[in-house]
Amino acid sequence: MNFDAAWLMALLDSPPGADEMTDKLTACGFLVELREEGDGGEIWDVEVTTNRPDAMNHRGLAREAALAAGATLKPFEFELDESDEPSSDLATVEIDDPTMCTRFCARVIRGVAAASSPEWMQRRLANSGVRPISAIVDVTNYVLLEFGQPLHAYDLAKVGGARLIARRAVAGESLVTLDGETRKLEPGMPVIADAYDVVGLAGIMGGADSEIGDDTVDVLLEAANFDALSIRRAARKLGMHTEASHRFERGADPELPPLAIDYAAALIAEFTGGTVCAGRIDVRPRPWEPHELTTTASKLSSFMGLEIPLARLVEIANGLDLNPRTDGDTIICSVPSYRVDLEREADLIEEFVRHVGFDAIPARLPVLATAPGRRNPNWELVDRARSAAVNVGLAEIMTWSFIDPDSDAAVESLPMCPGQAVQLDNPLASTQATMRRSLLPGLLSAVRDNLNQGERTVAVFEQGRVFWFADGAPAEGERLAVALVGSRLGQDRAVDFADLKGVVDAIVDELGYPNHRWRRGGGPWLDEAQAAVIETDDGKTIGSAGLVDHSMAKKWDIKTPVYVAELDLAAAAEEIPLPSFVELPRTPAVTADMTVEHPTDLSYADLHTVARELAGDLVEAIDLQTRYTGKGLPSGAVRSTLRLTYRAADRSLTQDEVNDQQEALREGLSRRLGVTFA
Amino acid sequence: MGLERLKKVRASFAADLAAAGSDPDAVETLRVAYAGRKSGLLQDLTAALRELPNEAKRDYGQALNELKKFVEDGLKQAKERAAASAGSSSVGQIDVTLPGRALPRGAEHPVHLVRRRIEEIFLRMGYDVESGPEIEDDWHNFEALNIPPDHPARDDQDTFYVGSNLLRTHTSPVQARVMERTQPPIRIVVPGRVYRRDSDLRHSPMFHQLEGLVVDEGITVGNLKATLETFLHALFSDDVQVRLRPGYFPFTEPSAEVDISCIFCDMKGCGVCSGSGWIEILGSGMVDPRVFEAVGIDPERYTGFAFGLGLDRVAMLQYGIPDLRQLFAGDQRLTRQFE
Repeated sequence: MNFDAAWLMALLDSPPGADEMTDKLTACGFLVELREEGDGGEIWDVEVTTNRPDAMNHRGLAREAALAAGATLKPFEFELDESDEPSSDLATVEIDDPTMCTRFCARVIRGVAAASSPEWMQRRLANSGVRPISAIVDVTNYVLLEFGQPLHAYDLAKVGGARLIARRAVAGESLVTLDGETRKLEPGMPVIADAYDVVGLAGIMGGADSEIGDDTVDVLLEAANFDALSIRRAARKLGMHTEASHRFERGADPELPPLAIDYAAALIAEFTGGTVCAGRIDVRPRPWEPHELTTTASKLSSFMGLEIPLARLVEIANGLDLNPRTDGDTIICSVPSYRVDLEREADLIEEFVRHVGFDAIPARLPVLATAPGRRNPNWELVDRARSAAVNVGLAEIMTWSFIDPDSDAAVESLPMCPGQAVQLDNPLASTQATMRRSLLPGLLSAVRDNLNQGERTVAVFEQGRVFWFADGAPAEGERLAVALVGSRLGQDRAVDFADLKGVVDAIVDELGYPNHRWRRGGGPWLDEAQAAVIETDDGKTIGSAGLVDHSMAKKWDIKTPVYVAELDLAAAAEEIPLPSFVELPRTPAVTADMTVEHPTDLSYADLHTVARELAGDLVEAIDLQTRYTGKGLPSGAVRSTLRLTYRAADRSLTQDEVNDQQEALREGLSRRLGVTFA
Repeated sequence: MGLERLKKVRASFAADLAAAGSDPDAVETLRVAYAGRKSGLLQDLTAALRELPNEAKRDYGQALNELKKFVEDGLKQAKERAAASAGSSSVGQIDVTLPGRALPRGAEHPVHLVRRRIEEIFLRMGYDVESGPEIEDDWHNFEALNIPPDHPARDDQDTFYVGSNLLRTHTSPVQARVMERTQPPIRIVVPGRVYRRDSDLRHSPMFHQLEGLVVDEGITVGNLKATLETFLHALFSDDVQVRLRPGYFPFTEPSAEVDISCIFCDMKGCGVCSGSGWIEILGSGMVDPRVFEAVGIDPERYTGFAFGLGLDRVAMLQYGIPDLRQLFAGDQRLTRQFE
C-alpha cells in the first residue's frame, strides 16, 4: 500500500529521518518495499499484512511508527460547526440485519456547491495512489486514507424516502454500481437500500443512481461498520475488490464511524460551502465491548529466549494504546476497538515480540536429542531411482503435473494406466486440466520440444507422481520414465531397443525390484514389434518399454524414432539387501562356444532358461555372444552363439570334461527345443 | 639331439638380451645375429629341420616355433625399451589435447540438486525428511493450519480444486499430518511439489517448497532464529547476513519473514534485490497454539517453530536462472548444464 511519507511524518512529533523511519517500520513488521519520489515528497510502498487493517491508513501506521521510532503521535483536533437543523429531520437510517451491519452513522450536509479539493489534499491523495475527483469524493477517500474508515456520500435528493436501510438482498434484486456495471445480487448479500430500491453494495461500492454530481445540493454521508465475513463473501461472489471492501473484509474499527463522519462532514462543508446539519445519526444495535488480554513477563521471556523486564512490556503496551496494568509478573492489556486482530494471548505475545524486535533476541540453537535424521522411505525410493537414471547418463527433466486431456486420453491404452483420470475443477488452461496418469505424455512433449530446439540426441528421464481415482478417492504414485532419441550418447550409432533395455535394466537392478522379466507386449502405444512389458515373478506389471508407435509419435509431431520406458516405483523393494560375499574362485575358468540354430519365435529368454536348466553345476555362466540371421539361413531362422563359462571349484577342468558337457547340453537342447547346431 | 640345441640357443639368447639392455645398437646386433633373414641363427635352425628323421620332426618343429616366438617377443620388448630410453616413441607422439572418448554423463534437475543439498544440511542436524500427498483435503491444507473457510489467506493461495479435495498449496499440510500421528519431540523437513493457480514470470502454477517444523518443550524464538541462521549460512555462505522481520502467516504467531543480504551486490543494491540489499528467502514463525489444538498437541506444554522456502527460487538464485517456468519446460540443455 502506498503512503505519502510527508503526510505520515506530519502526524508525528519529532519524527526521525526517512531512512531511520523506514528501517524501524520494517523491523516492527511493516516492510517498506519501495521508496520513490512523489509529488512534494517520497511515496513509500509499505507491505501491511492482512491481519492489520488498523494500519492500512496513515494514522494507524503512524501509531506503529511512533512506538518503533520513539516519537509521539500528535493528538487529532478539528472543529465542526453545525446548523440548527437536525440531521434526523432530513434522513433516517435503519439496520435491518445486525449480523451484517453493527453500526451505521449518517450526517447531512446541505447546500453544497461543486468544487475541487484543495491542492494539499489532492497531493496527498495522488501520492497514496488515489485519483482526485471532486471535493466530496476526495474527502471520503482522504478520511479513509487517514483513519481507515470507508465512507459513502449520497445525493440526498436521489435517496428514495430519504431513508437508508442496511439489509440483505432478496431474490431478483440488482444494482448499477458506480463503475457502471450492472450487478445481479444474490439473496443474502449485504446491501444499502432506500425506501424503494437497493442503492449500494454495503461496504463494497455505491450505486450509480444516488451518486454525487455537480448538481448535488444536499449530501447524505454514511460511515458504517459491516461484518467482515458478509462483505468478504459478497465481494468474492461478485468478483469485486475495492478500497472499502479490502478494509471491511479484514475488520474495521467499530468505534471509528462517529469521528470519521464528523471530520468528513467538516471538510466537505469547508470545501463546498455547505452546512453541516445538527447531530449525528448513529444506529448501533450492539455496542462494542472492550476485552482484556493477559500474559506474564516470565512466560514471554522463556518463549522468546530473552529476559524481558515487565517495565519494557508496559512501555510497549502504552505505545500500542493497550492501557496496560500489572499484577505481579502479569500484564493486563485492554484491547482497543481498532485492533481486531488481538483475540488471544498469542496475539498479545506477538505484539511484544514485534516491538522488542527479532534483532534483540539472541540466536541460540535448540538442544535436541542427538539422533540421526531419517528419510521417509518414499524419498529414499525416489532418489534411488533418480540416481540410477543419472548414473546411466540421462538428464533429468521436470514437466507439469497437469496435462492436456487429449494427451491423457491417449494413456488409456497403456499397460500401466492406473485408473480413472483426475480432472481439475478450475484449471488455468484447458491444456492443463487433467492430472497426469503417466509420465509419458509429458516426456513425449519434452522430446518434441528438445528436437525442435535442434537437439539431435535426447536422453532424458523424469521422476514424478501420477494421479488417478481409486474407488472414488484420489490416489497418487511415484513413477520414473525414460526417453532415448538419436544416437546413443558417446557413440556414433542410432539408439535401439537394446540401448533402452540396458538403461532400464540398470535402473531396475538399482531399485532392487523382485526378479523381473521382459516379455513381448505393450501396444498400441508402442510399436508391437518392439514393445515389452516388464513383470515381476508373480506377473505384476512394473514397467513397459519400447519404440513409440508411429501413430502415437505422429500425434506428438515427432518424426524420429523414440524409445521410451516407464517404471512404477511402487513395486520396488523397500530396501536393497546388502550384497553377500562369495568366495573368489581359485581355479581357472574354461570357455566354450555353442552356436544354436533355431526359429526366431523361440525367444532368447526361453533358450537361455532351458540351457541354464540343462547345464550342470560346472557351468558358471551362459552369455549371448553373437546372433545372426540372413544369408545362409532359411527365413525365420536365427543362429545364436552362446558362450559357456565352465569352472569347478576344486580342480582345473580338462578339455575332455568340457567337451563332454558341451555334447550333453547339445543333446538336451535338441531334445527339448528341437534346435540344431552349426 | 636337435632339441638340446634349441634349448641352448634359447639360453644364450636370454643372456645376450639381458646384456644388450636398452642400447639400440646392441639390440640391432642381437636381432641380426638371431633373427637376421640371411644369416640369423633361427634360419639355420629352420634349415636343420629338414635333416631330421620324420618321427622327430614334429616335436622339433613345435619347440622351434616356441623359440621363434620367444626371440621375437624379446626383441620387440628390447626395441621398445630402447626407443623409450632414447626419448622417442616408435608409435609417434600423442596429441594429449585431443578430446577424450566421452562417456555418457547424467545430470540431476537443479531443483532436486537444491532439495538434496538442503535435506543433507537438516539430516546432519538430526531432522527427519517427510513426505505427503499432493492431492490434499481441505482440513490438512487449510483448516488444521488455522485457515478457516473465508479466511483472507485463502485469497493469497489461489487453489486448484478436485471436487472436495484440492492440490496442496504448500507443504504445510504434511506438518499437520505428522503432528496428528506423532507426539513431540518433532523435528522434520518436508520437501515437495505444490500448486497455486497463478502464472507469470515470478509465479508458476506448480513449484516446490521445503517446510521445516520443530516441536518440543521450551522451544524459543531464539531457537528459530539460530536454526535459520545456521541453515542459511550452510546453504549460502557464512558471510551472509540474516534478517528476521515480523510478518503474518495464519499458522504461526509471531511470524517472521526472513531475508538474506543480497549475494549478488553485497547489499549495494541491484536488480535481484530490487535495490534493497536484501533478498526475501524464507517464511517462518512460532507454531500458532490453534494449530497445536487442531492436531492434538498440548499448546500449554509444547512450543515450536516452522519455516518454509521455495526450492525453485533457491535454484534460480544460486544458479542465476531468470524464469521460474523454464525449470519445467523439459529442456535437457538446461539440466545438462548441471552435469
